[in-house]
Amino acid sequence: MPKIVGIDLGTTNSLVAIVEDGTPRVLPGRDGSTLVPSVIYFDEGGTTVVGNPAKEKMVEKPKNTVFSIKRFMGKGIEDVREDLPLLPFEVAPESEHIIRLKIFGRDYTPPELSAFILRELKHNAEATLEEEIKSAVITVPAYFNDAQRQATKDAGRIAGLDVLRIVNEPTAASLAYGLDKRKQGTIAVYDFGGGTFDISILKLSEGIFEVLSTSGDTHLGGDDIDEILIRLVLGELKQRPDIHQLQAIRRAVNKAKEELSSANRADITVQELQYRRSMTREEFNKLIDPIIERTLRPCRQALQDASLKPTDIDEVVMVGGSTRIPLVRQRVQELFGRVPHTELNPDEVVALGAAVQADILAGSKRDMLLLDVTPLSLGIETMGGVMSKIIPRNSTIPASATEMFTTFVDGQTNVKIHVLQGERELIKDCRSLAQFDLKDIPPMPAGLPRIEVKFLIDADGILSVAAQEQRTNKYQSIEVKPTYGLTDEQVEHMILESFEYAEADIEARLVIEARNEAETVLNATAKGIADEQYANISEEEKAEIGAAIARLREVMRTNDHQVIRQAIERLGNATMHLAELIMNAAISKALKDKRVREIQ
Amino acid sequence: MDYFEVFGLPRQLGIDTLALEKAFHDLSRKHHPDYFTRASPSEKTQAVRMTALLNDAYRTLRHPVRRVEYLLSLYGFKPDSSKVPQALLMEVFEINEQLEEVKAGKASVEEADSLRAQIKEKRERFDSQLQQASLEWDELVKRGEPEARLKEQLGRLTEILSESSYIRNLERELE
Repeated sequence: MPKIVGIDLGTTNSLVAIVEDGTPRVLPGRDGSTLVPSVIYFDEGGTTVVGNPAKEKMVEKPKNTVFSIKRFMGKGIEDVREDLPLLPFEVAPESEHIIRLKIFGRDYTPPELSAFILRELKHNAEATLEEEIKSAVITVPAYFNDAQRQATKDAGRIAGLDVLRIVNEPTAASLAYGLDKRKQGTIAVYDFGGGTFDISILKLSEGIFEVLSTSGDTHLGGDDIDEILIRLVLGELKQRPDIHQLQAIRRAVNKAKEELSSANRADITVQELQYRRSMTREEFNKLIDPIIERTLRPCRQALQDASLKPTDIDEVVMVGGSTRIPLVRQRVQELFGRVPHTELNPDEVVALGAAVQADILAGSKRDMLLLDVTPLSLGIETMGGVMSKIIPRNSTIPASATEMFTTFVDGQTNVKIHVLQGERELIKDCRSLAQFDLKDIPPMPAGLPRIEVKFLIDADGILSVAAQEQRTNKYQSIEVKPTYGLTDEQVEHMILESFEYAEADIEARLVIEARNEAETVLNATAKGIADEQYANISEEEKAEIGAAIARLREVMRTNDHQVIRQAIERLGNATMHLAELIMNAAISKALKDKRVREIQ
Repeated sequence: MDYFEVFGLPRQLGIDTLALEKAFHDLSRKHHPDYFTRASPSEKTQAVRMTALLNDAYRTLRHPVRRVEYLLSLYGFKPDSSKVPQALLMEVFEINEQLEEVKAGKASVEEADSLRAQIKEKRERFDSQLQQASLEWDELVKRGEPEARLKEQLGRLTEILSESSYIRNLERELE
């Protein structure tokens, strides 16, 4: 049976995991590390590198090293306007509804960029498991809206993965925590990552993980703490840094932030700017307190939505790298009045849970079941710009709602429907999700057609719509225009384009293989030259061997595997006579040894 | 299939919520799309539809007010907040004025608490009215009373919901 992997596509790091023999484990990458930094480096030649090698390029090549792309998923330019001054990216002009980053003259959408990370994880899993991986479960923040979920699914498709399920990160974490051993209980999962914050409250009962409520902020994470520190440094600098120096500051404050989780004092050192300052944990705590306070509001909201008091919570689980910060732990402990769980590595727990969910989908685990909810109310625009809710937030998914629509003018054949997500009264305060056109309505007097529209939020938290005219029983055609997303055609186009990258990947692998073989051949030749038989070949042959070695050394650092192969072949031909002599000498020596033994 | 039928329940308003939760979990284990990953596309669609219906039914029936609203909708009754006695309207206007002051931060903590208590007390009065009328409905159904008598009771339930909707909205605004 084909294997299904679980993927945590994180803001800062991404991981891939699988369940084998009932136990989930994270699969390592090319460099042996289980964390793949969510960083993509593009070189001038169109080659991409993902992970640790890409992260090393962040200061040197800021414009073409993309990081934290998750914060842009399902967003338009206005959503991230505040962040842009601190980011080194070039944003393409057509970014109103989907942000596009310009890299070497080409535009990339966040799903395409995320697909590079997913492709790397897919490759890592295939290398470790030694089989092709086609299906995956991918996690998203629980508070992700429809567009952000769809963007994640699109990224999977572009990377050549069948995304069997989008799972919420805090819920995945609860699966990994082995809390099912506890038969009953109420659990709060506090998930504070690099870019997003989630709180989910779950009720556990005989293997059923039922989410009661969820809340959060999809633009609140460790990156925001880094930004506070970056602004502090910028304020203390005399000059305005360029983008290289800006990235050096980012690296320095990030290092100091991590150190302050264990030390009471850390240095922020930016050599590029001859800048150095020391920071105490007390000073750090004061700076980040407003950020932590912003995480506590959703916690209170989630408790209220679940009709629970903080003391009703039996267990609190900490997930995400930012929960290593001592002040975060302290504030969470104060809110819930109990010591939170921190036993599992907060970077790995979501990926492990995704693998558990993949195992459930594979059919090998029937004792556990996850019942998740939709984080935001779904509604439609009604007269006067008011949002009318049809599926309330925290409804268990899949969830559906049926609404009747009619016409206002005689013979009207078209009705427009605007779908939104959010909690506010007015549509201008909610997130536009999509516009639908009900077309081909049979011409009738105004108000007579009865068009039943069925809204369905599936188990991924993604909306689909179907419509039927009640009098004629005819299914209506619907044209969906996602407000902040890619159309199906655009995704298809990107899948086709991604084959180019798949080819480029194969190219890159062929180059690496050719280089490795070149090394082997050069080593063997060096041994041959050191052999006594080298004296028995002609001067012309020696000259040709020398020339072939020089040629191979010259071309083996290029990216053309065919040229490298040609040079390997030339050296092989040049050394053929030498190799024969060495071989013959070895054979006759072996025969001689044999005779000596026979005589004895 | 209506929401009562999903759980195999008669159209009655007295529901044992613990038993309902147990049935919800059991039915989820039977129909959830997680268990149909490798099934045919039509079976998958069926699993999503069935589970959506189950979730919608559970969300509605476990909540005492939504449960009544749903029952009424099955018989074509709809609570209408515009059909409210004049006296109640005046009362609501008064509370609303005080609420505005609380929201604007003009009222003292004691005044805000007193308003909260006042609203809560009114809401609880409606809750007990609704509970009483719900019990009566179940009795009528069990006794097999004629349709006219049932309709009269549905009318009574509609009236209570219409009148209480104001208070519920006010309470929501206070949260």
